[in-house]
Parts: sequence; C-alpha cells; structure tokens
Amino acid sequence: MDPIARERLFGFRHAFDSPVTLWITIAVIAALLIASVIIWLLHTGERTSDKLHDELVKRVVSWAIMTPLLLGPVLLGAAWTILAVVILSVLCYREFARATGFFRYRSLSIVVVLGIIATTCAIADHWYGFFVAIPPLTMVLLAIVAVLRDEPRGYTQRVGLGVIAFLLFGHCLGHLGYMANDADFRPIVMLIILTVELNDVFAYIAGKTFGHRKITPQTSPNKTLGGALGALILTTTLVSTVGHFVFAGSGVDTPVRLIGLGLIVSVAGQFGDLMVSSIKRDIGIKDMGASIPGHGGLLDRFDSMLLVAPAVFYYIGFFRGFGLDQPTRILTGG
Amino acid sequence: MMEEWRFEPAHDFGLSAEQRRLSLRREVGLESAISCFLWRSITRVYLATAHRLKIRGRENLPTRPPFVLVANHASHLDAIILGGILPLRFVGAVFPIAAGDTFFTKRASSIFATAFMNALPIWRKSCGAHSLEDLRERLLKGSSVYILFPEGTRTRTGAMASFKPGLGRLVAGTSVPIVPCYLNGTFAALPASATVPRWKRICVTIGKPLSFSATTNDRTGWELIAAATGNAVRALATLP
Repeated sequence: MDPIARERLFGFRHAFDSPVTLWITIAVIAALLIASVIIWLLHTGERTSDKLHDELVKRVVSWAIMTPLLLGPVLLGAAWTILAVVILSVLCYREFARATGFFRYRSLSIVVVLGIIATTCAIADHWYGFFVAIPPLTMVLLAIVAVLRDEPRGYTQRVGLGVIAFLLFGHCLGHLGYMANDADFRPIVMLIILTVELNDVFAYIAGKTFGHRKITPQTSPNKTLGGALGALILTTTLVSTVGHFVFAGSGVDTPVRLIGLGLIVSVAGQFGDLMVSSIKRDIGIKDMGASIPGHGGLLDRFDSMLLVAPAVFYYIGFFRGFGLDQPTRILTGG
Repeated sequence: MMEEWRFEPAHDFGLSAEQRRLSLRREVGLESAISCFLWRSITRVYLATAHRLKIRGRENLPTRPPFVLVANHASHLDAIILGGILPLRFVGAVFPIAAGDTFFTKRASSIFATAFMNALPIWRKSCGAHSLEDLRERLLKGSSVYILFPEGTRTRTGAMASFKPGLGRLVAGTSVPIVPCYLNGTFAALPASATVPRWKRICVTIGKPLSFSATTNDRTGWELIAAATGNAVRALATLP
C-alpha cells in the first residue's frame, strides 16, 4: 500500500497534527466535566428534582460513553473513522428496518446491507467512481430481488423502503466516512460532528428560553421558531469561527463561504431531525429504539447527521475538494 | 391521494436487549439469522461426523410454516438435531421452546440460547396459560416453526414419558400441523447424567403431519392431542 495512504489510515501519531483537533478534544472533555459538575451542584443545592436529576445524569453518562466512541476513531486514523461510520450506518439501518417492518423481507435487507458494505469498500479504497455507482446499482438489485417474491401488492413500498434506507444510512452517512480520505480529515470531521450535535443542544436551549411559536406542531410539537433561529445563529457563528482555523488558506476560508457552511450545518441538521420525526409519526412510534438511555434509539441521536453529511461534503468539495492530493484506489489499484 | 403505506414495527420493538431475549414476541433480523445459520452449519457437520446422523421421512416435513415439530426428549442435542434437519430457508423462523428456568436464568446462557438457537423461554413452574396463549397467537400469525419436547424434561431412564397437554393448547382447533419425530440414539449419546457427548449413532424419524383442526380448544381436546401425538411418536419408534 502507498505509504501516504497508510499514514492517513493508521497513523495515530498524527492525531493532533492540527491544533484545532486538540482544541476540540480538550473542549469536549472539559464540557463533559463542567456539565457533570453543574448537575452535581444543582442536585446538592436541591435545585433539581430527583427525576430531572436522574434524567440529566443518564444523558451525561450516555454522552460520556458516546464521546470516546465518536472522537476515538477519528483521532486514531482514517481506517477507524471509516469503520466507525459503517457501524453507525448498519445500526441506524437496523433500527429503521425494525421500526418499519422492512427487516421481514430478508433478501431485500441483505441487499441494503451489501450496499452499505460496498459503500464502505469504495470509501476505504478512495474510489469515488464506485462510491457514486453503488446507489443506482443497489436500486437495480432491490428492484430485481423484490420481483422474485412475485407479490406485486406492496412492491413499491418494499423497494421504496429499501432505497430510502440505503440512501439515508448507507450513502448519506457514507459521505461522513468519505471525508476521511482527506489528508486533513480530523479537524473537518470533528468540526462537523461537534457542531451538528451542538446544533441540537442550541435549538433545545434557545427553544426553552425564547421559544413561543411552534413551527411544526404536527411533526414535532417541541420545535419552536425561537429554537430554530437561535440554533441557526449560534451554530453558524460557531462553524464559521472554528471553520476559519480548520480551512485556513483554502477556498472555503472567506467570511461569506464560512457563514454559508454554518447555515448548511444548522439548516440541514434541523431538517434531518424533523425528517426522522416525520418518519416516526408516519409509523406511529415515539422513539426509534432504546439503545441509548435518555436519548432513545441511535437514530434519535444521529438523525441530524443524515442530511448534513452529503450537504457539507459537496459544499466543501466545491470550494476545496476532498483528498485531491491523496492516492486513489489504494486497495484495487487501477 | 395515495393509499397509505402500512408499517408493522417488529413485535418486540422498543424493548431492551434483555427484555427482547425473554419476549415471546421476539422477531429476529439479519444478525440473528446469520448467527443461527453459522451455528446450524457447524452443528450439522458435527452431527454428521460424530454421530453419523441419519434422517428418515424427510418428505413428511411441511414445505412452509407454521408447524410444530415434536419429539421424545433425551439430551441437549435434541433441539440442535431438529433445528438442523429443517431446510435452510426456515433459519430465523425456527424457535425451539426452551425451559426458562434452565436456559434463561443466567445472562450468558440466555444470550447463547437466543443468538444461536433462537429459543423462546417457557417457565415450567409458573407456566401461565397466557404464555401458551401468546405462543399460539404467534403460531397463527403464520411465520413460525416451533421445536417442542412435550415430555417437559429430558428422560432420566431412557423411556419416553407421557406428553403434557400444553402442546394441545398451541394447536387445538387450528390448521397448524404437528409433525411427530422420533430421536433414536440420543440417550446413549448424551444422557442427562453426562456432560460430554459420546460418539454414538443417532437416527431421526420424521412422521406424517397430524392435524387437529376439528379438536376442541379445551382441556379434553388438549389431552387428546397430547395422547395422539405421543402415540404417533411411539409408533415411529417401532418402525423397522
């Protein structure tokens, strides 16, 4: 294998090559510690009820477990980042399949999982042509395999669910993994994960503080205009400030483009949240699962990432490109 | 307007991993199907080599679920054998009904029983009528195959005990067939007193499916079904 590619995939010594990576890591750990201390102080000062306290503790513990699972692979290297993304894809797909009942069509389910695995191979290989060839090919396979049941009633729904599942969890999330093909992927991926998650937190806090007018009472009754605008302003500020250091010297590093990036993260993030809420309402369930205490299912936590990953990928790709100086097809040659 | 799509979430949706293992409504996805398939492949090789497993009457197996496979019970190999003789396409749809108090009290064994055997627990001491009712309902939904040992426990003497009427509760008055099987050689291979299997030959005889659609769903009916199935298994034992 090309030595440059090997360093990118496995070179954990480069973890903190970019100072931004170090700042974000320190900031996240500090934030978790401060949150724990505040929760503890609120409880000893009897400012929070036992029920609220338990809820807050559950959330912080969940974050304390998720943070190393999210940041660890990015720090270790591109190979681990890609692996973490595919695991996330498969687990999110599993929740979706169990919620919709799609998992009962086992052969179609196999096609979706094969699509996700093929996407991962294309990413690890750094072969963009194959990466974008998989969605149509998966569609072709789904359409064919679904015919084999010889049961036209519900055909469109079965193929449709398969396509939605693959596009959302295999292809869209796959863009997050594809970013690991950039030599400088660590600060970019960390910036996106951090700001997408904080976007949710900002929306929640701003909504609690100045939220009055409900924007989507049918889809998600807790969403308010104040929350949405608050998140938009705070996330855009954060993304463009940190982004200035992440993208220093590249085509993205102009004030207008950085603000554009921030707006995309915030808007796509909030719509991803609303999209999963719509899916849940359509099915008639409250949570997508019970895998993360205090959060619901994995999909309830990572819903915002689904639409952000491809949107940000092509936005940054347009002004700067991803991994342009990196060797391509590192596994298949060619 | 278009007609709405119909979603049917997994019947055990929203349960924690532990609750799922104990749930009689458990539905399995790809991950369990793969682990069950691997286990089935390994045990089939083992049974074929170590026990020279012979299968008679394979043509009597119904081609599609639901049905209930019952047999005499002498060893821990029994459920593995019956699971292994069913066609590959049933993987994930086959549920051995296992004693909850033996296999589901410890975490490790309950994970093993569900991940590799796809077992459903039934609690012998407090086997409420409702859990049998749940199993019956699940069977009527049409996509499950049960493996059941109606003696309730492994034989300690080698002789087959009478079948418990709980079996009848699952199928009385329905079109779901019971397929009687006779396992020969399992008591010699791995009796309840032994922990390590011996290299003994095992032979399975599969009998013709029995239907009890005309039997009443009450205690008389259940006892009748248990007795008739017991006789069918005994008859298989005497075949040349």
